[in-house]
Amino acid sequence: MRQSFRFIGRSTPRMDGVAKVTGREIYASDIYLPDMLYARVLKSPYPHARVKHIDVSGAERLGAVVVTYRDVPDVVYCPRLVSTPEATYKDWRVLTGKPLYVGDPIAAVAAESEELAQRALEAIEVEFEVLEPSFDPLESMRPGKPLLHERIRYMGEEVEVENNIACTMEIEQGDVERGFEEADVVLEREYRTNRRYHCQLEPKTAVVRPEPGGGVTIWTTTQSIHNTRLLIHEIFGIPVGKINVVKTALGGAFGSSIQTNIVVPIAVALALKARKPVRLAYTREEDLHEHCAYQMIFRLKLGARRDGRLTAGSLEAILDIGAHQIQAYPLLGCLVGWWVSLYKLPNLRYVGKAVYTNKVPSCAMRGYGNPQITWAVESLMDELAEELGLDPLEFKLLNHVGLGDLFWGQGPTVKSIIKSSGVEELVRRGARLIGWDKRPKPGAQRGRYRRGIGFGRGFHTSSAGAPVPGTVVDYTGAMLKVNEDGTLDYVTAMMDCGGGTLTAHAKIIAEEIGVPLECVNIVRADTQTTLYDVCTHASRGVYAGGAAALQVAREVKRKLLELAARVLDAYPHALKIRPDEERGQGVIYVEGVEGREITIGELASMARHKNWGTIAAVASVRQGSCPPHFTAYFVEVEVDTETGKVRPIRVVAGADVGRVINPKLAEGQIHGGFAMGWSMALLEDTPYDPRSGDLLNKGFITDYKLPTARDLPPLEDFQVFFVETEEPTGPFGAKGLGEGALNPVAGAIANAIYNAIGVRFYELPITPDKILKALKGGERR
Amino acid sequence: MSMWINRIDTHILPINFQYHAPKTLEEALKLLAEYGDEAKILSGGTDLLVKMKQRLIEPRHIISLRNLTELRGIREVEGGIHIGAATKLREIERSQIIAERLPLLHEAVKAIGSIQIRNMGTIGGNLCNASPAADSAVALMALGAELHAQSIEGERIIPIENFFKGPGATALKPVELLTAIRIPPPPENYGWAFRKIGRTSLDIATVNAAVLLTLRGGRIDLCRIALGAVAPTPVRAVRAEEHLRGREPTPELIQEASELVVEDISPITDVRGTAEYRVEASKALVRDALNLSIERAGGGGR
Repeated sequence: MRQSFRFIGRSTPRMDGVAKVTGREIYASDIYLPDMLYARVLKSPYPHARVKHIDVSGAERLGAVVVTYRDVPDVVYCPRLVSTPEATYKDWRVLTGKPLYVGDPIAAVAAESEELAQRALEAIEVEFEVLEPSFDPLESMRPGKPLLHERIRYMGEEVEVENNIACTMEIEQGDVERGFEEADVVLEREYRTNRRYHCQLEPKTAVVRPEPGGGVTIWTTTQSIHNTRLLIHEIFGIPVGKINVVKTALGGAFGSSIQTNIVVPIAVALALKARKPVRLAYTREEDLHEHCAYQMIFRLKLGARRDGRLTAGSLEAILDIGAHQIQAYPLLGCLVGWWVSLYKLPNLRYVGKAVYTNKVPSCAMRGYGNPQITWAVESLMDELAEELGLDPLEFKLLNHVGLGDLFWGQGPTVKSIIKSSGVEELVRRGARLIGWDKRPKPGAQRGRYRRGIGFGRGFHTSSAGAPVPGTVVDYTGAMLKVNEDGTLDYVTAMMDCGGGTLTAHAKIIAEEIGVPLECVNIVRADTQTTLYDVCTHASRGVYAGGAAALQVAREVKRKLLELAARVLDAYPHALKIRPDEERGQGVIYVEGVEGREITIGELASMARHKNWGTIAAVASVRQGSCPPHFTAYFVEVEVDTETGKVRPIRVVAGADVGRVINPKLAEGQIHGGFAMGWSMALLEDTPYDPRSGDLLNKGFITDYKLPTARDLPPLEDFQVFFVETEEPTGPFGAKGLGEGALNPVAGAIANAIYNAIGVRFYELPITPDKILKALKGGERR
Repeated sequence: MSMWINRIDTHILPINFQYHAPKTLEEALKLLAEYGDEAKILSGGTDLLVKMKQRLIEPRHIISLRNLTELRGIREVEGGIHIGAATKLREIERSQIIAERLPLLHEAVKAIGSIQIRNMGTIGGNLCNASPAADSAVALMALGAELHAQSIEGERIIPIENFFKGPGATALKPVELLTAIRIPPPPENYGWAFRKIGRTSLDIATVNAAVLLTLRGGRIDLCRIALGAVAPTPVRAVRAEEHLRGREPTPELIQEASELVVEDISPITDVRGTAEYRVEASKALVRDALNLSIERAGGGGR
């Protein structure tokens, strides 16, 4: 039975839209305070070195406040606080005397203008002892290679690092050897992904104001104001209550601000020393030296019987994590989780290793390893289907993890049973829309321009909720109060990364109570006035955050009805609320009794005059499940065999996100997910120059290309459809979407290229250069 | 110690310089005569300011052309079309004269950067920056443009073939200013084409190519092929041109000519593409450009 909704499922403009398009939204980088100093960071020019001597007197003579690695608290920490201590290795310091990558912060200055700060920075003299770097994880692991970290911290203890391996995870289920013996076809391939940069719109920024009494107020680019607060407490020992992190709009992050960015503790150290507000805004070039996605090497092996059943799988994954851990251990867990949740493997073995290299530290980036492993699995499943003489669609549907199966939402400790799935319908409808039966035979074309259709499917978790605690923190707080005119203040610590998350919360509240959407006011909150929220990540904004919004809305509604029952002389459970757009109010009425009604504004006003108190609710909500949202991409490409350029022709993308809250924005996530996946498959990488040890593009975005609108299919050739399911644990049946929108894209594109030219590629990005070389060599594995 | 990374702050221009905004051309030339090597000309700034922010150059004097209206504008003159060196790329792109008389230049200019860049950047700047990949350069080479340079000593005319001396280097003396580009009227019934490959549609060329040719009696007569980003300067594919001249444009001939392009280029591997790729892409672009040009010249093409 389909319910009818007033707001859910209808496209409504995002509530922060006008402020954003008119340039009036306030981001951290818009914060300027009286008496504020401008900060600059002294970064290592070497990929691996030790500071022998540092002289900051030149900077101080110019009037700058300076902090070096010797002035910051001697605390080793991990900047990401999503996982519990059991899953966390610590190897960070605010500033370092032993830099581990080009760009590693050694010292910082603050002065009255950016110009003066820059002059002061250039006046610092440093003498380095240059150490041998390693830019490749396989090389890093070789015995005898210099260690980046000799000791790191785990659960309050020091642990020794061997062969630069930051952490490992091994999982075995069933009997893998026997599983492969039972298989009729076994394929094994090695895949290597690219090292992508998030390229979020807003570079990392922190503005810190020291407060009388030893506290600090912080404005920063973050996906979690509360985790930022806890980390500053951990490093500087300032009581939590005296640290206030204020929410500002976030100019995108794609996972790069799940951790507290390095600008925050540096700016805190400077502000405490200067006793003045300090602003540290990274340039784009510095931002490229701050974070990137994980580059992964997979050795993947799958076996299947002639009837199409998978019998076994093994995956060896080596993660190039760069110079530091940003909770790499939980990622090793998530990676195996994504892998085993795609297709059922009766027998499996997994070995994951995270390895240090002298490169920019890697962190989560939209999908948290899922786009990488899904590219490999979807490619190998395609190959396997061909070997078996099966249609890849049928082969994948036969083996897919679906309704009633166990799903690993966030590694081995966060699992739940799948209670909603539209996978079959996604695949069947998508195949019809793209014309799957009419796709060419791989490698059969001869002309210059060759077209091919590829299919990739995938999913992502919605939140890290689970029936048991696990090693991932996942809960959200919310407050809702009724104002005296009938409007509502909604207070949450949850950040909106730009996907319209908080607009979705407002719709959930408006729908549940029965008020016009404009009545819901999203409060600019901070850590002192909100309940804890872990982070806007893991596609949990609508599913987990929205559940908290729904709970406070329910509670407020219950209280409204109780009070209205007194006034209207009726029973609370017999009362209804409808949004009255004309009055701009919710109206509480008795069904079937004419004229027996009161607006929420009248009721709230009466509650004030009669001293009944504020109608409000507060909740802290943990989801007991991590339902996957599913996506399926069908992509048609055209390969120019003379220039190696690949052009998108058509895209059909289907998604099961449970109940769709805001169709236009949901579609936007799919468009954006495809663009990012296209870019991952064909364009992006941050290679290093082995001579300088720096990024080959030196951080200049001129040489980090993303597709523009002109490089992507026009919207009339980009068909998006939703298969609506009802997720029983989701608010109004909703699940997540942000990451599933990306995860299968690169796999679908790689399969389309294979379909067009009959060549498979095992390394991303698939550049025109590689395509021409492969075509010239007639390479076909 | 290599502290390059700490010398970059793209929020600001972290160097000291004196800024001049002369009111007349004469005044500008005097300043150039006085400061020569220590001065840089600021026209649109889309390359200059980037290089200054990257600390690749640190000029002591900046001479802005902002007040010199005489260096702007497009007009038909005897002997062709005159474009002031400080004319915005966007103005050229939107000029009816250029669209009608020099569609090759129109297309090449449209390929430069974004609209925002073209609103700032100027044609003279695009040439004087002397990037081997400059889109306008290959088009102007195919069109046989002449460049007008002035100093307080007087004016001289430099054929565009002789203008580029290496990446970032031109035939201009430190005291000389590029004032105008003069393009001779193209021959009757000519065919033309501009082709560019970048990593995305908003990119500096990995390879670009421009062709201008005429047919006489079904045979190729005049033929100019220019390529960019495959040598230290934009280059003419002379061997290919010679091979085509006087012959009937069969698919085989065009294939041969495109293979000959290799003789005149010396590409390198950089962040935009490998040398091997540039060789292959050059051949493909020239083949495409020749076919399209022949078709436009009324030869039917392939």
